[in-house]
Amino acid sequence: MGDLLQLVITGLAVGMVYSLIALGFVVVWKSSSVANLALGQLVLIFSWFFYGMLVQIGFPLWLGFPLLILFALLVGWLIERFALRPLIAQPILSLITVTLGIAYFTEGVVTFVWPKSVAALPRFFPREPLHIGGAVVSQEYVWIAAISLLIFILLTLFYRYHRMGIAMRATADDQLAVQACGVPVTKIMSRSWMVACIVAATGGILISSIGGITNGLVMTGLKGFSVVILGGLDSFAGAMIAGPIIGLAESLGGGYLTPYLWSGVKDIIPFFIIIIMVLIKPYGLFGEERIERI
Amino acid sequence: MTLPCGVRSYKYADDMAIIRTKTQWVLFILMLVLLFTMPLYMPSNYWLGIATLTGITLIAATGLNLLLGYCGQLSIGHAGFIAVGAYTSAILTNRLGVPFPIALLCSGLTAGTIGIIFGIPSIRLKGFYLAITSIAAQFIILWVINHWSLTGGFMGMQVPYASIGSFVFKSRASQFYLVTSIAVLTIFIAKNIARSRVGRAFIAIRDNDLAAQVMGINLFFYKLLAFFIGCFMAGIAGSLLAHWMGFINTEYFSFADSILYVAMIIIGGLGTTIGPIFGVIFISTLEQYLTVGLVPFLERTFSMLPSGFATGVTPMLFGLVIVLFLILEPRGLAHRWSLFKSAYRLWPFSY
Amino acid sequence: MNKSKLRVIGAILMALIITMLPFLSACDTEEQVETIKIGITTPSSGQAAEKGSVMGHANLDAFEYINEELGGVAGHPIEVVWLDNGYDATKAVTNVQLFMDEGCVMYATASSAMMTATMETANRAGFPGLACFNAPNLHRPPQHIYGQMTDYGDDWTAFAKYYVENIWEGEGKPRMALHLLNNSTGYGARDAAMAKAEELGIEIISIDEHAATTMSEIESLTRIKALNPDVLYISSTPAPTAVIIKNAYELGMYPGITIACGHAGMTKELVNIAGADITEGVYGVFPTVSWGDDVPGMEKMIEYCLELHPEDEGNGDYITSWAQSLIIAEILRLTVENAGYEVLAEGGPEAWAAVEYQGIQQLDGYDVEGLHGPVSYVPGDNRLSKSLRIFQVQSGEIVPITGWIEAPLIKYEEYEWFGN
Repeated sequence: MGDLLQLVITGLAVGMVYSLIALGFVVVWKSSSVANLALGQLVLIFSWFFYGMLVQIGFPLWLGFPLLILFALLVGWLIERFALRPLIAQPILSLITVTLGIAYFTEGVVTFVWPKSVAALPRFFPREPLHIGGAVVSQEYVWIAAISLLIFILLTLFYRYHRMGIAMRATADDQLAVQACGVPVTKIMSRSWMVACIVAATGGILISSIGGITNGLVMTGLKGFSVVILGGLDSFAGAMIAGPIIGLAESLGGGYLTPYLWSGVKDIIPFFIIIIMVLIKPYGLFGEERIERI
Repeated sequence: MTLPCGVRSYKYADDMAIIRTKTQWVLFILMLVLLFTMPLYMPSNYWLGIATLTGITLIAATGLNLLLGYCGQLSIGHAGFIAVGAYTSAILTNRLGVPFPIALLCSGLTAGTIGIIFGIPSIRLKGFYLAITSIAAQFIILWVINHWSLTGGFMGMQVPYASIGSFVFKSRASQFYLVTSIAVLTIFIAKNIARSRVGRAFIAIRDNDLAAQVMGINLFFYKLLAFFIGCFMAGIAGSLLAHWMGFINTEYFSFADSILYVAMIIIGGLGTTIGPIFGVIFISTLEQYLTVGLVPFLERTFSMLPSGFATGVTPMLFGLVIVLFLILEPRGLAHRWSLFKSAYRLWPFSY
Repeated sequence: MNKSKLRVIGAILMALIITMLPFLSACDTEEQVETIKIGITTPSSGQAAEKGSVMGHANLDAFEYINEELGGVAGHPIEVVWLDNGYDATKAVTNVQLFMDEGCVMYATASSAMMTATMETANRAGFPGLACFNAPNLHRPPQHIYGQMTDYGDDWTAFAKYYVENIWEGEGKPRMALHLLNNSTGYGARDAAMAKAEELGIEIISIDEHAATTMSEIESLTRIKALNPDVLYISSTPAPTAVIIKNAYELGMYPGITIACGHAGMTKELVNIAGADITEGVYGVFPTVSWGDDVPGMEKMIEYCLELHPEDEGNGDYITSWAQSLIIAEILRLTVENAGYEVLAEGGPEAWAAVEYQGIQQLDGYDVEGLHGPVSYVPGDNRLSKSLRIFQVQSGEIVPITGWIEAPLIKYEEYEWFGN
């Protein structure tokens, strides 16, 4: 039974990582109905930038982190200004493809500036794992869970009560009407991308502390999509709940099913969940169902 | 299609013809001749191989164009269906000894069937949800291939040469002819599908599927048909690819390739038959230029540059090209081409 | 003209100039010197870039040394056609076709996965290839692909023998768990284990696979821990190996059991990512000397590395590829000696056959200037160097703990499970 506890705790921990990434996705979707398929690569480039700041140039943590935030703001603004603003009224295919183009471009920039494909961040968290019952969980995961929850609370409050947040939700609903009301739509899209990039940057630092900075971050980004589908594309609460569910499914599936099926079952579980969700409940557990009229 | 002035149709058949005037016939036959005599004037086997690879990509891109450009179903998992075709053909010819023509057909049918299975969600979903489903489909297909011993698992499997009867397609030239004939046939079929009732139904579904349903178009049937045709062509392309390379492995069919296919048809022009041709040729040329020309040149002359410079340039340029095309010319190169044709006809008001 | 038109014209001119540059440079290489052409393809971008770009640099630097200071091979400069395959198999295949068309007499790759992709094309045409990182599937059954060094299966066999003789102190058979990368790197170790574990007296209790992008292997390690292993062998690249070792540490398995890695993972990167304290005492296998060892070839290599690519200093892969270039030069020297230059001048099937039968297969005890074990060809065995050493991580440094061990030939194709 110690096994089960271990698997459950690991699953929940890894799931919180996915939730963090999913939050970044939901931010962009909630404000502009754009699917940010470049999320994995953005996490990658922010992690590398942080590495560059801390290891290559040697800044201390209290300087490196604000610089990272500034960089994230810059990247968010750049993407919105030069890639998305020209495409405001275009069909959704163009928007998705342009984020894919950005993803490609970002991967190129990463190879360009940091030619190593693997690196390690300096250690922030103590290496002793926490012991819960008979199971262990490394401290990075605990921090990730805490910070995810914090970001989730901040974002929910922001979107519900702050003027800018309400404006963002309105923009996602109907851009034309919002423009007619005098809300600067371009500013809103800019801000939402900047926020998404900050979330991605924070996620990047935390995730890289676990396994180093590798191209695997992109794969983790893809798994974030499964969280978003399960939880609902426009729901923060959905992202927070669906993340641990997928993490648990991966962990338990990997732990118990692997001897009976094939090694590597755990990699495919998130994608299976996507297909199943899409057939039963496409809008996710907490998503809002869109009613289409002709 | 705009015709030069003075051309009139006296029969319905004339009105519907693809090639209308004598000039068009001459140009068309000239192009075919140039295409099929390519092995004679191509500088080396390498370029012939590139041309063959371009032909294979073109077949797959045409399929994707029917699915995405004409019917509007967002499918970003095309490389997965190509993989299905490739592995089907490989297993049939390698392990079961089935003759190549039958294997070719079967790989198309298998890919089409798998396409239908993963296309079922399209009944209820659109836009981003369908895109994510197709991405998941690709990963699941690749995972199954990787973990199934029949397909050689992670190590991949060997594929014998293509052969029809006793003629083996061993030389580069023969492979080129095989691929080019199939590519020309595929484009012809695609053009005719687009002009037929099926094509019109696709376009209606793309523009507004609810209205199409109200008008009496059976969404279920036509959407699945679009998936079937698109993936059938992908399967054929996969089979040709497998026999050309001699060895297949799931690493050849990555997610980045799927993105490239979507980019190709967008750059070329969605919803036109000539669009995929432009897109494929553009991307292939760019890729060749970068791999053979720019990168080694940079690496040799500028060894003072940071090591990632030369090798990071390729994905950067690709991504940049995709984004720029979407912003500046969203209707693709086909649109520019038709503008050029109209300008040529109208300048300087030649009547 | 207004500003925007000027800008557009300026941009078009810039683009034209940039596109023209490569052609301009190609114009001035019309010297009539008799060169020998070879092709090299490395994964200098993409997911193996941390190894591939370093290895590409080492190859090119070594050839510059050979051409400048040694005058090439018997007076003929070596012309290198270098292409980046970006760890993309289709690109690697087209690269090899380009090599064949351009008159190259042989080719070399860095990654075993890329060699797996291209070996069908090369074997069909009879184009000889030299694989730096080697795996059993590349050279069994032996055709035209030669492995520069021992393969991942040999790593396992060498370590298993060392373990049973020197580290294992219990009764009966030691229990070993394998954790493998899901490609030729991992499968090489698995093939060796399946072939030789019984003979060496080791019980394989579980075989697990992981992807190169894995972030956590706690589930598989939990299962392994329940089976009470004595030793864990990881055949993978540095990043996943680091993840597994960290997870093992967290679960309390390590320190406790013995952990060992294959040569793809046993590099400084592993120690960096996982941390010197966690990797303390991890064993590993590596087929070349370490940076700074006192061998004849070390001085020149360090000199060129610091001059041309100082950021690669200290990287074990640099040594491997520098050695590969030296071996290629030796092969070409033997070919020119035995078959003459004329045969090689144009490339083509005669040149390839000459390089293979009168060059590669005539290698006999070439010492590669001490950078790794001696290189010889023994009929039936396409591995050129058969020796390796066992290392251990001590205080963050990778230290050799044995001398050169020779790895015996294993005829994998005689086992019915091989290749299926």
